[in-house]
Amino acid sequence: MSATATVISVEDVTIAYGDNVIQKNVTFDVHAGEVFIILGGSGSGKSSLLKAMIGLDRPASGRILFDGDDIVTAEGEDRLRLLRKFGVMYQSGALFGSMTVLENVRLPLDEFTDLGPEEKDLVAAAKLNQVGLLPAAARKPSALSGGMQKRAGIARAMALDPGILFLDEPSAGLDPITSAGLDETIRSLSRDLGITFVVVTHELQSIYAIGDRCIMLDGRTKTMIAEGKPMDLRDHSTDPYVRQFFLRQAEPAATGNGGTRAS
Amino acid sequence: MSPDESARVDLRQAPGDGAVLTLGGALDVSTAAEARREVVARLAQTRVASLQIDASGIDRGDVSGMAILYELTQGLLTPGVSPKLTGLKPEFEHLLKAFPAEDALRALHPPPARRGIFEELGAATVSMLQDLRAQLTFVGAIVQGFAAALRRPRLMRWHEVAVVFEKAGVNALPIVSLISLLMGLVIAFEAAQPLEMFGARIFIADMIGLVMVREFSPIFTAIILAGRSGAAFAAEIGTMKVNEELNALETMGLDPIRFLVIQRVFAGTMLMPVLSAYSMLIGVFGGVVVMVTMGFTFAQIWAQLIGALHVRDVLVGTSKSFVFGAIVAGLGCLRGMQTKEGPNAVGDSTTRAVVAGILMIIVVDSVFAVLTYVLHV
Repeated sequence: MSATATVISVEDVTIAYGDNVIQKNVTFDVHAGEVFIILGGSGSGKSSLLKAMIGLDRPASGRILFDGDDIVTAEGEDRLRLLRKFGVMYQSGALFGSMTVLENVRLPLDEFTDLGPEEKDLVAAAKLNQVGLLPAAARKPSALSGGMQKRAGIARAMALDPGILFLDEPSAGLDPITSAGLDETIRSLSRDLGITFVVVTHELQSIYAIGDRCIMLDGRTKTMIAEGKPMDLRDHSTDPYVRQFFLRQAEPAATGNGGTRAS
Repeated sequence: MSPDESARVDLRQAPGDGAVLTLGGALDVSTAAEARREVVARLAQTRVASLQIDASGIDRGDVSGMAILYELTQGLLTPGVSPKLTGLKPEFEHLLKAFPAEDALRALHPPPARRGIFEELGAATVSMLQDLRAQLTFVGAIVQGFAAALRRPRLMRWHEVAVVFEKAGVNALPIVSLISLLMGLVIAFEAAQPLEMFGARIFIADMIGLVMVREFSPIFTAIILAGRSGAAFAAEIGTMKVNEELNALETMGLDPIRFLVIQRVFAGTMLMPVLSAYSMLIGVFGGVVVMVTMGFTFAQIWAQLIGALHVRDVLVGTSKSFVFGAIVAGLGCLRGMQTKEGPNAVGDSTTRAVVAGILMIIVVDSVFAVLTYVLHV
């Protein structure tokens, strides 16, 4: 958090599926070491933006730069090099069901390093230890709870020690205690290892607990409507939708009483 | 990012029997393997009674890099010697702390549970009996479902039956046509040579008629149905089970058998004879084409076919098809309903549906062969 060097620059990105525009002209920077949160209601394009950032989907236009290199246009070896800069934890964990938890974490090490088998085990065990999942190393993913699967997903995403981790809805489907535990894991990984996190979520508790900065996408205007610290946005945003989101109010504020009071 | 992209390893003899291992530069996932090889090689060249590790030069590192330091400090690379680590920067000490204690590492690969041959045999027998019981129960449930549908035809969900007819029947016509035609051609060509030796090539017509109508058409269409639709039924119902859709039906008070299975079994049973009859026609046509190229006239071939084929042959072939259709569709649905949890579950069910379907087709066909022989049909 000390440095403010930009590690990811999203420049004027428009995401569309065919003629269906999801988000227009999204621009923001992610700084080294921060926990950056992408907020938005259901269907606002959070996950689509995440998919574009991790190179799974191609945006309709715009650039997504990792240390100056554009992942949108990168191909072949360049693309692989960019992919090695980050790890991704998918919403469901996306663990390979035929492998044990340890083998899941070992897989990137097996494929991309020359380490010997014992060292790979050692490194994988250390990763599992970092997310508090070492006792479950020999289990299959199907024998893990939802929270444990997400932890294992984080451990696998960290296998090659990337500087950036993308987390897709880490708290979805978890009870408050497990969710808080996961938040603590994210916090400690950020603090101790200086990993930059980009987290897609709409869990308010999580946002306050882990978020350094956030942006908010609006599905109705199809634009990014806010950028800043979560607490600042909650207390000082002039956009009614943003306040409504942070105050967890139900209906659109157009005619309601939540519209013009704050700030 | 540090300008130094590689790791530095140096081993120096210290006063007495001791030595100092100096590590520096970048010790991360890209340099760890090489650095470790170098450390092992240096240590192998020197006999040390005590070892000090100077890690103050490490200016970049990650968990993969720290694995070497962990192995060194645990004495894993220097048996009998407990090295001392000095100068490691605090941020890397943090990484080093991530490594678990040795007994936790031993638990990473628990020995697989082995079973004796009798245990295996017993388990296989029990599982076979359980499967048999499941199949019997399933047949009972289907019969019950049909009985309920007979009383109240509305329960049948005829639209679903029509969809299955289209997917499993109409859409299968191209592949059934191709395979039947080729089978007819192949059998005619293969039969032509030996029959020619006896001047009996006209009997190709008898052969193609009997073989296609009594055996090949019913069997091949049933195998096609097992591969296309038995597998599809298992996958569809299996996916529904994994997605808890079957539980949803159950809690709505809807019987999954009545809601999903009887339509498929009914459609499978009814369309199989139709597909099979179609296959008979195409197969025989394939044989006729070959015979025409050999110089026979249509009239000759037709007379020969009529003489060789009896209504009972067509009845035997068609009645088999009814049974095959019921078996293939039923097994597909049963395996779907038996789908377990996990990512491979639907794939396993599909495989089991196809394998069991084909196996049962051949078994039932054998029973038919014996019966028709004994009954002189």
